[in-house]
Amino acid sequence: MKTIFHVDMDAFFVSVEELFDPSLKGKAVVVGGRPNERGVVSAASYEARKFGVHSALPLRTAYKLCPHAIFVDGHPDRYRDCSQRVFEVLHRFSPQVEMASIDEAYVDMTGTERLHGPPLRAAHTLHEAMRAETQLNCSIGIGTSRLVAKISSDQAKPNGILMVIPGQEARFLAPLDVRKVPGVGKVTERNLNVLGIHKVGDLAKLDESSLESRFGKWGLALAGKARGLDAGGWFDSEVGEDIEPKSISHEHTYNEDTSDSEVLEATLARLSEMVGRRLRENGLHARTLQLKLRYQDFSTITRAHTLEQPTQVDTEIFEEIRALFRKNWRAGRKVRLLGVHAASFEAAGPQLDLLGESKHERWEQALAAADRLRDKYGESAVSLASGMRGRFRERTHENPAGLPGKPK
Amino acid sequence: MEFTVSKNDLVRELGLSQGVVEKKTTIPILSNVLIEAQGDRIILTATDLELGIRCTCPAKVKKEGAGTVPAKRLLDYTRLLPDADLNLRFLENHWASITCGRSRTKMAGMSRESFPELPQMPEALTEIPVGLLASMISRTSFAISMEESRFTLNGALLLLGSAGITMVATDGHRLAYVESPMPANGNLTPGFRALVPKKAMGEIVKLAEQSAPELKLVFAGDDNHLFFKFGERLLITRKLTGNFPDYERVLPKDNTNVAKLKKEEIRSAIERVAQFADERSRAIRVQFGQGEVRVFSSSVETGESEESVPGEYVGPDLEIGFNAQYLLDFLRAIQQDDVSFALKDQKSAGELRPGSEETKDHYRYVVMPMRI
Repeated sequence: MKTIFHVDMDAFFVSVEELFDPSLKGKAVVVGGRPNERGVVSAASYEARKFGVHSALPLRTAYKLCPHAIFVDGHPDRYRDCSQRVFEVLHRFSPQVEMASIDEAYVDMTGTERLHGPPLRAAHTLHEAMRAETQLNCSIGIGTSRLVAKISSDQAKPNGILMVIPGQEARFLAPLDVRKVPGVGKVTERNLNVLGIHKVGDLAKLDESSLESRFGKWGLALAGKARGLDAGGWFDSEVGEDIEPKSISHEHTYNEDTSDSEVLEATLARLSEMVGRRLRENGLHARTLQLKLRYQDFSTITRAHTLEQPTQVDTEIFEEIRALFRKNWRAGRKVRLLGVHAASFEAAGPQLDLLGESKHERWEQALAAADRLRDKYGESAVSLASGMRGRFRERTHENPAGLPGKPK
Repeated sequence: MEFTVSKNDLVRELGLSQGVVEKKTTIPILSNVLIEAQGDRIILTATDLELGIRCTCPAKVKKEGAGTVPAKRLLDYTRLLPDADLNLRFLENHWASITCGRSRTKMAGMSRESFPELPQMPEALTEIPVGLLASMISRTSFAISMEESRFTLNGALLLLGSAGITMVATDGHRLAYVESPMPANGNLTPGFRALVPKKAMGEIVKLAEQSAPELKLVFAGDDNHLFFKFGERLLITRKLTGNFPDYERVLPKDNTNVAKLKKEEIRSAIERVAQFADERSRAIRVQFGQGEVRVFSSSVETGESEESVPGEYVGPDLEIGFNAQYLLDFLRAIQQDDVSFALKDQKSAGELRPGSEETKDHYRYVVMPMRI
């Protein structure tokens, strides 16, 4: 039987901002941008949450709900640094740590009793260590599966520890809303509600075959989840197990729609660079590149191109994306959003180059050096000159590139 | 405007314009063919703004004039008509009225005013034997890059000098080079250099197939265009702009390890073995050793295969990875029975040539290896 901790940092982005500006403590704080900007709330302090502000809410709506809140820009570099420190603390407790996002992690504590004591004591020690070393609060859920650990950390918030005793999973889950089950979103919730299923207990009473006939494979996973088992998609893997990504993409929404081709191409250069960076971090070469273009009226096109040779070099990605852009953008039309998407991953392209080998190799070396600079000084330490005008403040994201111990 | 023309003449000349007319309908007039009736003939013109073609047909012109109709629809329809004379008349509303035997059709057309003007052919630079140019194209065009973003590689380099004619194409991984002596008979000093787009090369081959092989085409160029005149038929293409890579730098100079093989044997061996190569990379391994060349493939999904081909080889044992498609493109393009592989090592470009000595021209094919 497994012992899994789910460690979830409390109001992570806000708490990190408080470290840098203690005057924010105890106030309604919204991280994500200015109240009149496009974009969404990345995180809200507990005080702001009382007014109904939550993450993913448009900033302008947040301002209406809570006009007295202090709106601060996100600082992705700070969060990455703190996340790294969180990881280091966790890693002392178990070698099996998987950052599920920037502010939460699964820690497989199975077999650590002789080292750290029984789970609750280990959790207490971990909680204290986290506070002492990062000045940040976290909540810890303990269960026999990641699913139960995750749900219990949610119940433990803020700044608490909750353990579901082995064997009691179903009883613990039964009174909770189905929406609490990871993977159940709006749509599944609605579908279940139509069937009269509102609580996890209702779901557990159904037999697997009727769920399967209605929801297919996902139904089987649901049946397992209702009993507190890890089932379906990512939950089928072990903590820390590598899952290869199927695609990597970055998007940018302009604060003000633009038809300035220089700005648009600079943004594409910047996005290509971000995609290239993540390809290299994951040791992948992409054969298919896709441009996403959303006009002011929200009409959206995607155009893909398959390369003769897979690449992870920023300039090569940008050249393809720019060619797609020039071919497909209706010049003069204002653009709201641009995105660069890479897929069809392979190992290094084995074909040697006849003409530009030295150029390609020189880029690879230059980018490797640039990546080391970014590791040390932050993502904006170096960039392509063509992307300079396309610089934008990186949106605070729960799943940024390069989480330690995170499946890539 | 009104004229009468033989249906077969019209179908033949219209067929030549089909590769040129714009397939996308972003600018509708570009899907149309311009028909001009003058004197004792009609002139058919089509263009996609990159490429243009002008053909003529003898005709009985009742009333001179011009109009345009969709090129593909006109061809599709006239092809189905009986082999007889066809009468075409443009009406006031730009529609074309076509009668042939018992068939009567009115086809929607557009005014000729919106049809783009093609550039005028300048003074001729030289004449090129049609068969020679077509054979140079078919030996190089497969090496042109399909990557649209590498626009200077989306065509071939054409060099005309007093010594002869040279064509070079590359996609950055392999390069095909043909040089042929051609008696100078025009104003070719200091020499002429231009990038010919791939689409134009395809049309030149089609026009060559419709011409007598001994015909000499008249070649001319201005700042932006190239002109190829096959008798009464004229093909005009915009030049590709940009710098073609310095190909002379990549032509190997010290590939001293040489294998001589029978083309049919090595070609069919590679064709079979390549069935089990990775589908995307098409990688095969080729081992060069005393008395034989061995070809290997393996793929996790499909299996593995190997074959050996007897041949002369002078040099140390070598194993090199190649894209099977790249080798086959060359082996399928040559007429000769023998082929030679000149190699240096695992990481340097290999060079393939038709093996027999008595070739009229100089054909070289350079391929970069794959990492194995």
